[in-house]
Amino acid sequence: MDFIPHDNKTVSEMLDVIGVKSLQELFQDIPNDLRLDKLNLPSGLSEPDLVQQIEKISQKNKIYSSSFLGAGCYYHYIPSLVDSITSRSEFYTSYTPYQAEASQGYLQAIYEYQTIISRLTQMDVANASMYDGSTALAEAAIMSTIITGKKTVILLKGIHPEYEDVVRTYCWGRNVCVETASEEILKEKLNSDVAAILFQSPNFFGDIEDSLKIVKNLREKNSNCMIIQVMTDPTCLGILNPPGSTDIDIFVAEGQSFGLNPSFGGPGLGIFTAKQKYLRKIPGRLIGKTKEINGDQYGFILTLQAREQHIRREKASSNICTNQALCSLAALIYLLSLGRTGLKEIASQNVQKAHYLKMRLSKIPGYEIINKKPTYNEFLVKCPNIDALCNLCKQRDLQPPLKISSYFPEMKNIALVCVTEMNSKDSINSFIEAATLALNNEAEEI
Amino acid sequence: MSFNIPLIFDKENENIQQNFVPKMDIDITELNEILPENLLRKELPIPNIPEIEIIRHFIKLSNRTYGVDTGIYPLGSCTMKYNPKVNETIVKLPGFAHIHPLQEENQGCLELIYHISKLLGEITGMDGFTLQPAAGAHGELAGLLIIKKFFESKGIKKQKIIVPDSAHGTNPASAKMAGFSIIELISNEFGEVPLDELEFVMQEGDVAGIMLTNPNTLGVFDKQIKEITRIVHENEGLCYYDGANLNPMLGICRPRDMGFDIVHLNLHKTFSTPHGGGGPGSGPIGVVNELIPFLPKPCLISTKKGIICKNNDDKSIGRIKAFWGNFGVIIRAYAYILALGAEGLKKVGQIAVLNANYLRILLQQNYFLPYNRICQHEFVLSDQGLPNDVSTEDIAKRILDYGIYAPTIYFPLIVPGALMIEPTETEPKSSLDYFVEVMNKIFEEAKKNPELLKNAPHKTPVKRLDAVLAARKPILHD
Repeated sequence: MDFIPHDNKTVSEMLDVIGVKSLQELFQDIPNDLRLDKLNLPSGLSEPDLVQQIEKISQKNKIYSSSFLGAGCYYHYIPSLVDSITSRSEFYTSYTPYQAEASQGYLQAIYEYQTIISRLTQMDVANASMYDGSTALAEAAIMSTIITGKKTVILLKGIHPEYEDVVRTYCWGRNVCVETASEEILKEKLNSDVAAILFQSPNFFGDIEDSLKIVKNLREKNSNCMIIQVMTDPTCLGILNPPGSTDIDIFVAEGQSFGLNPSFGGPGLGIFTAKQKYLRKIPGRLIGKTKEINGDQYGFILTLQAREQHIRREKASSNICTNQALCSLAALIYLLSLGRTGLKEIASQNVQKAHYLKMRLSKIPGYEIINKKPTYNEFLVKCPNIDALCNLCKQRDLQPPLKISSYFPEMKNIALVCVTEMNSKDSINSFIEAATLALNNEAEEI
Repeated sequence: MSFNIPLIFDKENENIQQNFVPKMDIDITELNEILPENLLRKELPIPNIPEIEIIRHFIKLSNRTYGVDTGIYPLGSCTMKYNPKVNETIVKLPGFAHIHPLQEENQGCLELIYHISKLLGEITGMDGFTLQPAAGAHGELAGLLIIKKFFESKGIKKQKIIVPDSAHGTNPASAKMAGFSIIELISNEFGEVPLDELEFVMQEGDVAGIMLTNPNTLGVFDKQIKEITRIVHENEGLCYYDGANLNPMLGICRPRDMGFDIVHLNLHKTFSTPHGGGGPGSGPIGVVNELIPFLPKPCLISTKKGIICKNNDDKSIGRIKAFWGNFGVIIRAYAYILALGAEGLKKVGQIAVLNANYLRILLQQNYFLPYNRICQHEFVLSDQGLPNDVSTEDIAKRILDYGIYAPTIYFPLIVPGALMIEPTETEPKSSLDYFVEVMNKIFEEAKKNPELLKNAPHKTPVKRLDAVLAARKPILHD
């Protein structure tokens, strides 16, 4: 099938208007030896055949009834409102709202998104979105080097390993040096060439860092260095102190938890916020409120575009153009649907359910909780036989937790377990049963 | 009377029931017994709003938003084609939507990514593809990092990239992010790359390559393309193809055959995935054999056991995004390619060019067309010579009064007062004719009643907005 509305008669009428005899003639600038006869691709499909063929591919993936896997992508309940509104095709088939007067609806929605993110994080400004949490963090690192004129960033232990990789790639591009440090040895590494310290909280291993303490220690040592926090599941902000209540310069997060399906890891949402004083160095789009030139109504418009690539070209703070607008809209609707009460309850349930499993596991001989700090909805547990545990989970239709050795080979037999509001008591108990049985099972026998 | 829609935050109602939290089914331990008090927030300034208020608010906002499903969207370089509805159905299949990026049983996802990379390979002529980049500019960055790594691995230092003045703004910005400095080439009077100049610049020796889009942003196919790529290659440079303008080339001509080494595609332009009001997109890149080892992680290969991940840790530029790219966007593009097949894709290229030339012929009767020749997917008008000092912005704002969207304005920079028009292949003749009718009517208005244009728009919910005020005193949230 194709989606072309012309019949042959229309095509010839149009060719007549143009004054050429054939469609081929329209490509006269293309040298003969570059013209392709035919693509070596299969013939097109009708809609039912297409759906059937792709559905078959999707069935090769496994869907579990309950999941204990997180590590940067989370299963949270998505209110039906989210899909209902983001499926309005005025929204999803529109372009970046360059013509403000014809795009007031979407512009207002993104302005409301910026507002709700500022309120949630208590940061001064939020942009319209970045690609995802990892690129938001990388751009934050680059932004800190542009602001400070310094060429080193330090990553604290506990940043999502894939995020760390992305930061390294971006920094290598801009010839920025990346170092890593644990909190203990950080002070030794802090020198006058450091543009920023990056840390994750709750971190990749589940620990909730005491941001206030980290910030205070850093400020004592080096007051010029910027502090950047990243978070992969911001539902925790329903109960945890917002980054804006500390002295964080830039706060970024992955917003997938706010109303987006896991969808094999994308599209997600890069949440990007900063202090007011960095406004003109922020990457990405910003929606501002303004007034009519000759009138009293207010309206919304893309603003501070002089920061952006289409105006400043190579002098822009970033090359980002297309962002994740529709995902911002989803996040806005998600947060509005839950409201203050709902978001607080969701966050509480995540903590309480994860705590329940954590306590139960710690009582099974052979299992040991690794985290010394408080945790949100993820924690590390050392297992007597992690392969047996994962296989027994699968037998119970439970998606097993992450074997942390897949990122850190030296951390053998340790699982990163995630529990959200979606895990029922039954599924948690079933997990505990699997953990108990795994004591007596050799992985090979299953 | 104000037509403003109050912000959603005004609809707060503290005491409504909460519908979206599952019933707690375990014995509750109080939060302050689990977490230290100093970590807990005191206030959460998010409103509680009844569901009916939320849905009505956003339906009102959607009514004030213009999409491809509303009407013609002639934004040049944006390829605003119809977004097939079947793709929206497919992307919601639970076997895709609910799959975790780190789960083991993921053959369906990996096969789909692997298979689309082969299809895109055939369409562009490239040997290897990555689907990791989240957008066109992200693909550009990845491509330029590949160029950087390629020369680094050979121990050659090359720090400059050539970008013509007609290029998309992302090109120089991406090159900067990859650590290159930019040499701008001034296009000749046909909007093409000046060969003498190119040869001269390339021979300086420090040039890693060139970024080009062909057809360029004037909608002109550069006939000397093979000469250009030959000159760059002879001077040990690489040729990067900005795929933003690939649509008219589908099934007609391939970037690889033009001599390009790296190409990025915009799945949200050429391959029909919705723009979503600015995103999410997807910007895969394809490369020639020699550059495959440098592709970002993760890389996929086909084995007897199925599709598996195999990274090249020595040479890869590393990761550019967590997980597997914007997979939801990739699925839609995959469905589009399968739906159209070889013949359908070729027809896309042909009709995209037919529609653009049809508009070009009819609009040049009243509007100045600086590069007057057969165009490809788009063409560029200028406000030069319009009566009563009417500007491009005035034209664009007046177009909105007729219930349609305006073209891209003031781009490319090489045409002063540019109106850049790209109708795409999915636009029916009736809507092309309506666009022409509107443009001609506006031309008459410019002659007789220019104030009507200078104060436009009149029929939109708000009148022309003050962009200067917005930037001078930024208000970015309530």
